[in-house]
Amino acid sequence: MKNKLNLVVVSLSKINRQHIQLLFVLLSLTMLVIGAGAPEDGGGSTR
Amino acid sequence: MILLAALVAGLVTGLALARWRGYSYQAPNLKHLWLVFAAFLPQYIVFYVSGDRQNVSALLLPLSQALLLIFAWLNRQLPGMMILLLGTALNFTVIAANRGFMPISPQTASHLVPQAVLENVQPGERFGTKDILLLPEDTRFEWLADRFLPPAWSAYQVAFSFGDVLIAFGVFQLLAQQGLLLENFYSRGTPI
Repeated sequence: MKNKLNLVVVSLSKINRQHIQLLFVLLSLTMLVIGAGAPEDGGGSTR
Repeated sequence: MILLAALVAGLVTGLALARWRGYSYQAPNLKHLWLVFAAFLPQYIVFYVSGDRQNVSALLLPLSQALLLIFAWLNRQLPGMMILLLGTALNFTVIAANRGFMPISPQTASHLVPQAVLENVQPGERFGTKDILLLPEDTRFEWLADRFLPPAWSAYQVAFSFGDVLIAFGVFQLLAQQGLLLENFYSRGTPI
């Protein structure tokens, strides 16, 4: 029973780690494309 | 917005491919991620939070893009990253050559804002977030500027550069191909 519980905890921590890693990478890629790209939709105020 | 659409489309495609093949999707193994934060956060603060500071902005955008170029070069072994690197390099070139901002012609800008708004912006002045209004004859590397537009019937009008197109393709391939790479790992017998 204890082993099964440990297995569940380990599996959950692995899933969470993978999800968090994916979210972190997606956040980084979002910053990368916004920072490197320069499209203009005119939505911002003109200066 | 178009770049974020490419990112989302790449992720959805990658997730669908991985699911179709019965594997779990894994994030690309990006290295030196701190460079992205170091490059983007100052750019975000100056352009989107603190308002306009022409001198700071003109220096910051090329500097920020130079850091992103280094990041892309350090991760060039990943699928799509060379395309993204080339797109970033093209944008960097045209921005650095035109006073630190992405040039846009009055004709292209007229598709984005009403004529009355455009009349208040003189050539050489900032336009929008990262752009500067410049006449084509005064623009260096004019073919790399924000000069492309979606079809006229499109409700969403946006001006984008050739570099933006490559960045969109690059990030799409990077995320979409993650759904296929796992198959290669399995076929070589490498554990995930």
